[in-house]
Amino acid sequence: MSDMIKIQVTLRDDFGKGAARQARRAGQIPAVVYGHGTDPVHILMPAQQTTLAVRNPNALLTLVHDGEEHLVLPKDIQRNFIKQTVDHLDLLVVRKGEKVVVDVPVHVEGEAAPSTVFNLEEATVPVLAEATHLPDNVTIVIEGRAAGEHVYGRDIQLPAGTTLELEDDYVIATISEPTVQDLGETGEGEGSAEGASEAPAEG
Amino acid sequence: MLIPRRVKYRKQHHPKRSGNAKGGTAVTFGEWGIQALTPAYVTNRQIESARIAMTRYIKRGGNVWINIYPDRPLTKKPAETRMGSGKGSPEWWVANIKPGRVLFELSGVSEDVAREALRLAMHKLPLKARIVRREGGE
Repeated sequence: MSDMIKIQVTLRDDFGKGAARQARRAGQIPAVVYGHGTDPVHILMPAQQTTLAVRNPNALLTLVHDGEEHLVLPKDIQRNFIKQTVDHLDLLVVRKGEKVVVDVPVHVEGEAAPSTVFNLEEATVPVLAEATHLPDNVTIVIEGRAAGEHVYGRDIQLPAGTTLELEDDYVIATISEPTVQDLGETGEGEGSAEGASEAPAEG
Repeated sequence: MLIPRRVKYRKQHHPKRSGNAKGGTAVTFGEWGIQALTPAYVTNRQIESARIAMTRYIKRGGNVWINIYPDRPLTKKPAETRMGSGKGSPEWWVANIKPGRVLFELSGVSEDVAREALRLAMHKLPLKARIVRREGGE
């Protein structure tokens, strides 16, 4: 279950990309908080603490500002795909006891039958759970499953108080025969010669 | 080997190498991927070589996805030719890769096997790259 993480935040008064970049250079992450019909509030969060906190994308955060505490869930996390840093956060206001839909990772237990290939079609599944008791993951067991079998939504083991927001016959994973891959042993040189001579037609 | 079946124009200008990737920056199909960190022209031979290195290592198991396609022709003038008399003839087919782009994806194998297979594949590519894992998964 998710642990609550307290983060001290400050209100953001400068806007635009220049101010956002300045904040990032100063070790802060711009974020916006919204939900429950309230006006959006723009805040700045400490970069290191926030980055560590949102390693779990469903981490329940407690934002502390002027002694007031607000429960929020990350709705969207914008990351820099080269530096792998967090650029911006969208935070959704939640209340204790409120049920929310979140995507949780699928944990796979066991091994499929020998000489089969296991393919996870959905790495995460949406579940409806209490905001303060979000599951870290859901489990599927594939022990001894033969080629051609599927793991459906109904096969997922859910923690108590959690319901799956997918249909029962939704395919989560498949077990199949391994496909014969061209290992290039016969015609690596042959293929290159062919490629060189193969001029595409114009028009 | 990957090669376009039919193209509208045989000879093109050189693709731009500036900037970062605009899409295809996340692992989408598999569990593991190779992400480019520098720009490069990756030829169809290099793509094929990397694919073979990966599939040989993982043997019968796992799935491999190639997320890039060499759809840009590069031309070359013959050796010891005077300048002028038109553009050279198409010599290579390349994919124009920019930093951040996920080139290959892999799934259905253990972490150790995946990392080694992708490491072998990275050695076949003319760029700096790193191994990335699917976000949101375990």
